[in-house]
Amino acid sequence: MELPLTALKDGESGIVTSVKANSGHGRGGGWGFQKRLMDMGLTPGTKLTVIKSAPFRGPVEVHVRGSRLALGRGMAERIFVEITK
Amino acid sequence: MTETKLTIALAGNANVGKSVIFNQLTGLHQHIGNWPGKTVEKAEGTLHFKGYTIDIIDLPGIYSLSTFSIEELVSREYIAVERPDLVINIVDASILERNLFFTLQLMELGTPMVMALNQIDMAEKKGIRMDHEKLEKILGIPVVPTVAIKGRGVYELLERSVEIIEKGGINPPIIKYGEEVEERIREITKLIEKIPFRYPARWAAIKILEGDEQVEKEIREISPEILSTAGKLAKEIERIHGHSCSTVITSERYEAAGKIAREVQQIVPRIRPPMSETLHTITTHKILGYPIMVLVVLSIFQSIFIFGNYTSEFLSNLLYGWEPLFEGLLGTGIVKDLVWGGIAEGVIAGVTIALPYIAPFYLILYILEDSGYLSRTAFLMDTLMHKIGLHGKAFIPLMLGYGCNVPACLGCRIMETERERLLAAFVTTLIPCAARTVIILGLVGTFVGVQWALALYIIDLLIIFLLGRLAFKALPGEPTALIMEMHDYRIPHLRTVGKQAWFRLEEFIKISFPLIIVGSLLIKLIEILNLLGPIADILSPVTVSWLGLPPITGITLIFGILRKELTLIMLSVLLNKPLPILDQAMEPVPQMVVFTLVTMLYIPCVATIAALVKEFGWKKALFITIFEVVFAILIGGIALRILSFIKIP
Repeated sequence: MELPLTALKDGESGIVTSVKANSGHGRGGGWGFQKRLMDMGLTPGTKLTVIKSAPFRGPVEVHVRGSRLALGRGMAERIFVEITK
Repeated sequence: MTETKLTIALAGNANVGKSVIFNQLTGLHQHIGNWPGKTVEKAEGTLHFKGYTIDIIDLPGIYSLSTFSIEELVSREYIAVERPDLVINIVDASILERNLFFTLQLMELGTPMVMALNQIDMAEKKGIRMDHEKLEKILGIPVVPTVAIKGRGVYELLERSVEIIEKGGINPPIIKYGEEVEERIREITKLIEKIPFRYPARWAAIKILEGDEQVEKEIREISPEILSTAGKLAKEIERIHGHSCSTVITSERYEAAGKIAREVQQIVPRIRPPMSETLHTITTHKILGYPIMVLVVLSIFQSIFIFGNYTSEFLSNLLYGWEPLFEGLLGTGIVKDLVWGGIAEGVIAGVTIALPYIAPFYLILYILEDSGYLSRTAFLMDTLMHKIGLHGKAFIPLMLGYGCNVPACLGCRIMETERERLLAAFVTTLIPCAARTVIILGLVGTFVGVQWALALYIIDLLIIFLLGRLAFKALPGEPTALIMEMHDYRIPHLRTVGKQAWFRLEEFIKISFPLIIVGSLLIKLIEILNLLGPIADILSPVTVSWLGLPPITGITLIFGILRKELTLIMLSVLLNKPLPILDQAMEPVPQMVVFTLVTMLYIPCVATIAALVKEFGWKKALFITIFEVVFAILIGGIALRILSFIKIP
């Protein structure tokens, strides 16, 4: 089942299925953001693990391709994943 | 004897130890400037090695060679068009996969390359073992393991680089994509090879398939047919893979990077997480993270203030001690007044700010940045920054602003787009810097009460928030979200950090000193020509009628443009009352409160204006300045009326 990244609980892993432009909230969109996510390694088929989120709907910390990324909430909402376990 | 000149560029992701290697290579022979016409820093250095004079160019730390940021554009243009003799790709061995993604893109540009496999010690601590010989074989370029902070491998890196250049530069082999992509790349490459184009043909072909706007634009000007063919081919790839062509190419590149990484590294799981991991967990903790951040920030300011006050006093006593010397040389006439009161005092003013406050501020800031802590604060503050249309990284210049607005304005470069840089800089100029804090505490804090001083800070934060939000709504364009790597905590390399702080200090001096000196000379002239009274009169409709202040405050507000804390000293001089009994000439409420409020908001000081001009040009700098003057006067007048209305004793 496809879920936005923000639906994952701390410690859960998933495989990126797609990155949707212009869904979710207005903030966090912007120019070239999809390309940016790809460049940072969030290509379809990539495995990632959610470590935690900052409070007050803050950014999500994920482990991907051996490194640690902070993704703004608005952006994380547009990344869709399939939960692995 | 003339030595052969060589140029070597350093390229790599952010935080891989690139600047440390740059420092190890070039030592003291460095020059930091800007790329022509860009607000991107260009660090250059020279060294002599085996009969060569080698120019080292330190390119900005980036993750890709797309058009996402100006840094990426500058880097790829430099490598592809200026063609250095060699590129040293610096790679963080502990995050090999992400770094190789960039390496593969560099290889596509076709310049001769050597790889520095850096921080192998950190990788080992994380349980990652590296077979660098195998990596060398797979990539077809020399790979030198290094531990830059200890200087390990740096000599060999240089040796192998020169060796490659002497051999006439081995071009890196081509990394192949899947056949259905590769076939189409070849087709477009052939077309581009027929036209005169400044970028390498294969690289340009890949970029067009990725939908790179800049390359597309340049090709369109020469041959629009190529673009339509490429568009058709990209559609075909999209049909085969079910994703956009750009996604397919990026995925395949990452796939290749991942495959190589897995082949050359062996991961030994660690039983206990390393210290840096524990530190990360605590400092980004949902609850603990915030008090830790407040504590860190407060203790930094506290220690800078203590150090700064002490050193500043010491320095000004020392420097003012030279006045008799000037008197002896120039007499007591107008010449001495101008030279001493204008120029020398301007220099003293600058020195007593730059050394005691700004230098330690920069040093601590770079230590925090290099260690990795700043990216954690950006993580924690992202939500709040979004309210004013910025993301977490903007918290860094904002915090800088509390020390001095000049470095803060320059620090806004870390934001990705021009719009965000401007927005962040605007907000930053409203942050009460150290000088403004001196006034708030010295006037309101002393004569009215500490809780009033605190209230002013809170009012200022509210104003910043409101104006930031307004500017965010008013400026066209969409905000970008935070995408930030949080690299592992590490111990900063002191020499590199020290040098970065030093270059910043130099930059500050270059920007602010000329203006401070010219400004104080001008004011001295006004004083000598006896124009103080007339100017105070001209300003009195604003100062007296609207703000309810003593007429002479008009003069102090003008002095404040030079250095905000001068307003306090001038106030006591012009009102002819020593600081401790200033309240005999000015009512604490409302006059002092109104005066402080206006001083806090009314103008970025002359050095900050210069920084704004440097970053955004005259027009925008002027606009911000005028806006803040008008706004401060408006708020001051409103505050006076509210304060008189509620009549607080």
